[in-house]
Amino acid sequence: MRFKKLVLIRRFSQIIFLLGFIYILWATTYPLTSSLPSDLFFKTNPLLMIIATLSERIILKGIIYSLILLLLSMLIGRYFCGWICPLGSCMDFANFLNKKKFIAPDKTNIQARKLKYLIFLIIFGFALFKIQVSWLFDPIVIFGRFVSLNLIPAITLIIDQSFISLLKASNLSPQLFDVYRDLQQSILGVKISFFPNSWVAFLDIMLIILTSFYVSRLWCRTICPLGGLYALAAKCSPLQRVVTKCIACGKCNTHCRMGAIKKDFSYLKSECILCMDCIYDCPTQETFFRFKSLRFKHPIKKSEEKNGLSRREFLIIALTSSLSLLAIKKSFSQDSLAIRHPYIIRPPAALKEDEFLNRCIRCGNCMKVCPTNGLQPVIVASGARGVWSPQLIADIGYCEYNCTLCSQVCPTGAIKKLPLEKKQKTKLGIAKINRKICLPWAKNKECIVCEEHCPIPDKAIKIKEEIVDGKLLLRPEIDEKLCIGCGICQTKCPIRPIRAIKMVPEKSDRM
Amino acid sequence: MKFDSIFQKKLSRKEFLKLLCSGASLLVTENIIGKAALALPADSTGRIKKNIKAAYDLVSASGNDPYQLTIKAIQTMGGMEHFVKANSTVLIKPNIAWDRTPEQAANTNPDVVAALIDLCFQAGAKRVNVFDNCCNDPKRCYDNSGIQKIAKKHKANIFFPSPWNVCQAKFAYKSPMENWPVFREALECDTFINVPIMKHHRLTGLTLSMKNLMGICSGSRGNIHTDIGLKLADLANFINPDLTVIDAYRVLLRNGPVGGNLEDVQLMQKLIVGTEPVLTDAYAAQIMGYDPMSIPYIASAINRNLGKADLDQANILKITV
Repeated sequence: MRFKKLVLIRRFSQIIFLLGFIYILWATTYPLTSSLPSDLFFKTNPLLMIIATLSERIILKGIIYSLILLLLSMLIGRYFCGWICPLGSCMDFANFLNKKKFIAPDKTNIQARKLKYLIFLIIFGFALFKIQVSWLFDPIVIFGRFVSLNLIPAITLIIDQSFISLLKASNLSPQLFDVYRDLQQSILGVKISFFPNSWVAFLDIMLIILTSFYVSRLWCRTICPLGGLYALAAKCSPLQRVVTKCIACGKCNTHCRMGAIKKDFSYLKSECILCMDCIYDCPTQETFFRFKSLRFKHPIKKSEEKNGLSRREFLIIALTSSLSLLAIKKSFSQDSLAIRHPYIIRPPAALKEDEFLNRCIRCGNCMKVCPTNGLQPVIVASGARGVWSPQLIADIGYCEYNCTLCSQVCPTGAIKKLPLEKKQKTKLGIAKINRKICLPWAKNKECIVCEEHCPIPDKAIKIKEEIVDGKLLLRPEIDEKLCIGCGICQTKCPIRPIRAIKMVPEKSDRM
Repeated sequence: MKFDSIFQKKLSRKEFLKLLCSGASLLVTENIIGKAALALPADSTGRIKKNIKAAYDLVSASGNDPYQLTIKAIQTMGGMEHFVKANSTVLIKPNIAWDRTPEQAANTNPDVVAALIDLCFQAGAKRVNVFDNCCNDPKRCYDNSGIQKIAKKHKANIFFPSPWNVCQAKFAYKSPMENWPVFREALECDTFINVPIMKHHRLTGLTLSMKNLMGICSGSRGNIHTDIGLKLADLANFINPDLTVIDAYRVLLRNGPVGGNLEDVQLMQKLIVGTEPVLTDAYAAQIMGYDPMSIPYIASAINRNLGKADLDQANILKITV
């Protein structure tokens, strides 16, 4: 057994980046004091940034970082997939648990790996038609949504519940209670966030990881469009796998997690994720990764067969995808905008719907950071284009008056970064009172909880004083000019199950 | 015995018994732990009224330093030693309900809280708890009110109340607050110091000490608003605060209880200290120009004999610091 130095370094890097990813999202919460920016992984993602830039026809801030990463992979190949990608690390771990793996023959491999270029091209084509769909298959946002919407709420819930059980079992021991309260102040948070729609994100990630349980890194080989983009860049990288002495044992071929090494032991540079396994699998210890040099000649003859797409295949893909695009574009066109669900309240200072959906990369940062848990993912309510976009559900939480956190963590500016004074005047919609169930209106009881909570300094909920049966009644009314639609009145309204005051996205500033 | 073997081969009697025993023991332990974890909140009949006799019924202090104001007012009352015994646990319940700065006068002045913490520790308190059940995001409220920072600086124990750690309120008479969940920390303290800020409130006219007690209630707080007078009078009778310190340094005159406009805030530079919550509230209402009987909770408490508010007979001292 050789000491696998490079493999150990790779695993270390994978663990660091996986934990770093989770840490960054965990720290994406009030008061946002983490030393790492909360959109680090999303801003350095070339697929998201390039596609969002293309579909919006503007140059996004910070796109340069993602281009640097892309340039780096032109130099050393798909290091991102093997060394950084947190989803890839999870797949590697799942794969490590299963010893019996399916090894695809070369032909299947070649056919299957073309799919990711097709997906990338389709996403690219959509972007040319001003529709951004990179969020559908980008691994970083898929993993980001899983961590923000599933993993962190689940872990915090488990810690919280076990502390509660322990505390009750120990008869509320004060020392333990202090530890629990310190945790609440630091990492646990006061309220455990809950996302009713997040099970879809869980299914997403389970599907990806379970498939890799049987075929190692199936997702990376066949579907991942980010991998496809890096693969395209890696084709020109000078870093090469070199075998100086080969005894044709076939170990590297069967062990390669990407299926990048063919039966004739030549390899595909665009598929290699630099996992460094083949260096230590080689019984002759004569496999290296080296930068191209003129002096050195490769002993293994490269097979004549061309890698990647042939010209004919490229044309077919381009043609079919653009044709299908035209058809899909039709269903996404301006005419259908009106049909799209109009009853969605977007985060404060979100761009106009069309631009917003193009800009929003569905990373879930805004939902993670929202202190009231009011920002929730949309699944079907705003059509195919709006899947995973954020919406404010005031039944769960409201928009905090003094808070601009969602705009601060948005990586692409889909939620505009406004100064607090301007955000406090941005209308999300207006509240409407249902007088049939409102206590002072329908039952002549005292309440006006909505007026009490209204954060507008001059109160957007005005009180109408009426004398009913000789008793002075205070009845709430909305001042639609002052109301910014923050929704706190709906959250705090005591009427259940349907609140007597409800937000509607009417008269909002983004209409 | 491998677990999946039970699906593959026939069970011997011994194996069957083994499985049965392990299953049963699991059930028993789960039941014990589960009972502890899911136990219903305990009942409580509230805090017992201590009737601490201080030097005066009421002290109304005015001056321009809220910290000194508090110290002097309590000293005039006879000192904190009257209320806080050595090695005791004290709860200071300020108003931290809103995400507002001290200048906006929606939350209790942090200097008043700091002075009270210091006085409690000087009187020999073992532990000083500070908490409130916030209406806005709790972390934002604790930060922006300035109370968390100053409480930590003065070594008090400030925390967020846990909605599962409650007692159910029980009354000797019929009350709309029957079975209402009340935070355990509010009941299990030796001294309860209620530190509201005086401010405008549309439904009740003024937010005073009895209204401030809403912050120790868990459950659906919106529902307290129907029959608010009755419920708050019962709640004050249930808690029986030992000391009431009404912060009227900055007073929100309009658009309460949240406020936000600095023009609505008046610098009154006053502090009212009393032992009887109803009397203290009535006096505070009077100096704000309200008829005490127009405030529903004061009227309800007086009408049902849950407190006295004879301002003419009360022993009131006005001091200037």
